[in-house]
Amino acid sequence: MEQHAEGATGAATKAQRTLTMARAGREAVIAEMRKDPNIFVIGEDVAKLGGVFGTTVGMAEEFGSQRVIDTPISETGFIGIATGAAMAGMRPIVEIAFVDFIGVCFNQIFNFAAKTHYMSGGRFKVPMTMMIGYGGGYNDAAQHSQCLIATLAHVPGIRIVTPADAHDAKGLMHTCLRDDNLTIWMVHKAIWGLGWLGTAIKTALSVVPEEEYTIPFGEARIWREGSDVTLVGYGISVHHSLQAAEQLAAEGISAEVVDLRTIVPLDRERIFQSVAKTGRLIVIDEDYTNCGVTAEVLAVIAERDPSVLKVPARRIANPDIPVPFSRPLENFCLPDAEKIVRAAKELVKK
Amino acid sequence: MITDITVPPDLVDTDDEIVLLTWVYRDGAIVEKGALIAELMLAKAQLELVAPARGRLRITVPVDSVIRRDQVIGTIESVT
Repeated sequence: MEQHAEGATGAATKAQRTLTMARAGREAVIAEMRKDPNIFVIGEDVAKLGGVFGTTVGMAEEFGSQRVIDTPISETGFIGIATGAAMAGMRPIVEIAFVDFIGVCFNQIFNFAAKTHYMSGGRFKVPMTMMIGYGGGYNDAAQHSQCLIATLAHVPGIRIVTPADAHDAKGLMHTCLRDDNLTIWMVHKAIWGLGWLGTAIKTALSVVPEEEYTIPFGEARIWREGSDVTLVGYGISVHHSLQAAEQLAAEGISAEVVDLRTIVPLDRERIFQSVAKTGRLIVIDEDYTNCGVTAEVLAVIAERDPSVLKVPARRIANPDIPVPFSRPLENFCLPDAEKIVRAAKELVKK
Repeated sequence: MITDITVPPDLVDTDDEIVLLTWVYRDGAIVEKGALIAELMLAKAQLELVAPARGRLRITVPVDSVIRRDQVIGTIESVT
């Protein structure tokens, strides 16, 4: 009979838990809320429903209606409320379930939450965290399937994290909640671990320690080391890359999988080091190609030393079209392991 | 003593299909009574299944399976 370490001698050590990203992120929020009464959660459906994606389940019961606040459908209003509260010393968490609707509150985010610290000469901090879902792949059409990460990343004053598994979801949430700036914690819907969006990709589930831990901003994670080609992505693209790397290995191609983990700040050093080692680069991103994160990653190589590339780099991203509702058309526009494998084989053959 | 793990009627009051989304612990882990051990999906609702007893978890139904509320999906063996 198979014996695990924790089982061999009864309960000598605590059993390891494998969690979904939704649960791991929630665990960090609850832990911080228990310690700091200045943290509150505000957004649509966060109290009674527990969040469209289950991010706030049980919080209204534990923390009450003063700290878990349902709002009308008025993103500008509640982001403005949260920004003002943050300037006055609170530490708000704002949920926007779908990043697609962030456009209606750009003024509050770009001109107030992101800039007040700078424009007040450091007198007012805005320690606010936004929890946002993004991404497609489930036939929800052009207004519920976008990523828009590059759009947010373009504006100074915002830190953006995009965890790819439960371990990083918890650690990065703790880091966001302890930071004194506007931070945005973004999770791709397909890896969140929500049953109604299909069973979570297995590699997004991970062992999550019970204790609190933080993950620094700006540290990419190497999921798999390799020597022939570097696959750079974040969020769901990490899992597509891992699947591709597995298939490529069977054909004798060694792929390195680099997870950016945080888009702002970007771990330029680790990107460059990996490409300098492999000489080949494919950047994978479900967001639009034009002026996207993929371009920023290519710029790292172009600015530092493009001679490390043995062959021109590739980008696999949305080909600048609205995400189609039709499943075959949507599949055409989203990155997947097959597209990565094809591109990698072409690069290695050149 | 061996305690069956089933979906209790106070969690699911219908005979509808339930999908087993995750097992939180590995087979053989020691779990505490009341600890979250699995996540389930019923229509679009996500549900939490807690351990009915303290002991060694034995998983008999894998993740992604469609189950019914009275079905035994694992057991908990008491440990001393």
